[in-house]
Amino acid sequence: MMLRNTTEHWGSPAKLLHWLMALGILSSMTLGVVMVNLPMSALKFELYAIHKSLGMTLLVLAALRISWRWLNPVPALPQDLEAYERRLASWAHGLFYVLLFAMPVSGYVINSAANFPLNVFGLVQVPNVVPESEQVTEAAKWVHATLFWFFAGLISVHIVGALRHHFVLKDGILRRMLPGRSAKEI
Amino acid sequence: MRFLLSLSFLLAMPALADTPWVIDLAQSRLAFEATQQGGKFEGEFEQFSAEMHFSAERLEDSHFDVSIDVTSIQTGSGQRDRELPKREWFAMDEYSQAQFETSTIRHASDNADYAYAAEGNLTIKGHSEPVVLPFDWQVNEAGQAHMQGEVVINRTTFGIGEGDWEDPSAVGHEVRIIVDVQLNPQE
Repeated sequence: MMLRNTTEHWGSPAKLLHWLMALGILSSMTLGVVMVNLPMSALKFELYAIHKSLGMTLLVLAALRISWRWLNPVPALPQDLEAYERRLASWAHGLFYVLLFAMPVSGYVINSAANFPLNVFGLVQVPNVVPESEQVTEAAKWVHATLFWFFAGLISVHIVGALRHHFVLKDGILRRMLPGRSAKEI
Repeated sequence: MRFLLSLSFLLAMPALADTPWVIDLAQSRLAFEATQQGGKFEGEFEQFSAEMHFSAERLEDSHFDVSIDVTSIQTGSGQRDRELPKREWFAMDEYSQAQFETSTIRHASDNADYAYAAEGNLTIKGHSEPVVLPFDWQVNEAGQAHMQGEVVINRTTFGIGEGDWEDPSAVGHEVRIIVDVQLNPQE
């Protein structure tokens, strides 16, 4: 178990946060697509409740994750990457961090402006952040839905990129994020 | 003179005992607290009227008859308020009024928080159920009364949220009704 990142390896907390959030984000996105297409019903309500709880949890995890990143070295990209590839990777990762916050925050604003109560997994009641306003609700909904497509696109690029590194370039960069393969690997 | 005084006192007595009170709507709240997706929210009925007869000395002559305009419900959320008139909720087309009429007003010997209890029938959406509302009644020096009480009801008893909506995880069954009313003695 390695806790802190090094310039070559991700520590366990960074890996755990990556995969926990990957799971949470994919679940949340799937739930989101399903729930908005359901007719008004109690089931729809419950899916919204889970989606919102997941979203608030992901917001907290995002804060933890970015703090951990600031407090740790970031493992370097492989040496043989072209300059444009480096730029692309850095832009993509930057955009990820923006979306990790923008998605839950825009969702939080939708819920707040609708003046719906928000109780995270039935454990913590979270206060609303903006006053009731149908215009704000609609605007935040548009932002949330638009960012969803950006996010979906970015995740696809991220996955394709990771698989390319693993299967085509064979540079071990995907393995670097897998559990239990930290220091001993190279 | 003494005779006149005692006569006027005697004449005033029944009026005091059976004081009709007028609700000051602007200073009064008929609110409720419910849960949605496990989170609390508040709402209120902005319009209601009542015949209120109350005297702490003569509880046996005291009587409340309250009419609530259900369509005046506000929960602070346009999205939510658009659902409430529907058939599964309040069916406001058919039932625009709710009513609470007391049968007995007594001391609330069983409740440490409130001095009195109003036993009566609460009718919402055509469902009538006995309800006991514990309350306090305080009269200030200016002769105005302040009534405060609360009671928890189960919304499904009154058919509020039918079918799919009976699921308590979407909208909780328990609804706390909060009465906070200012009254003036009728002139």
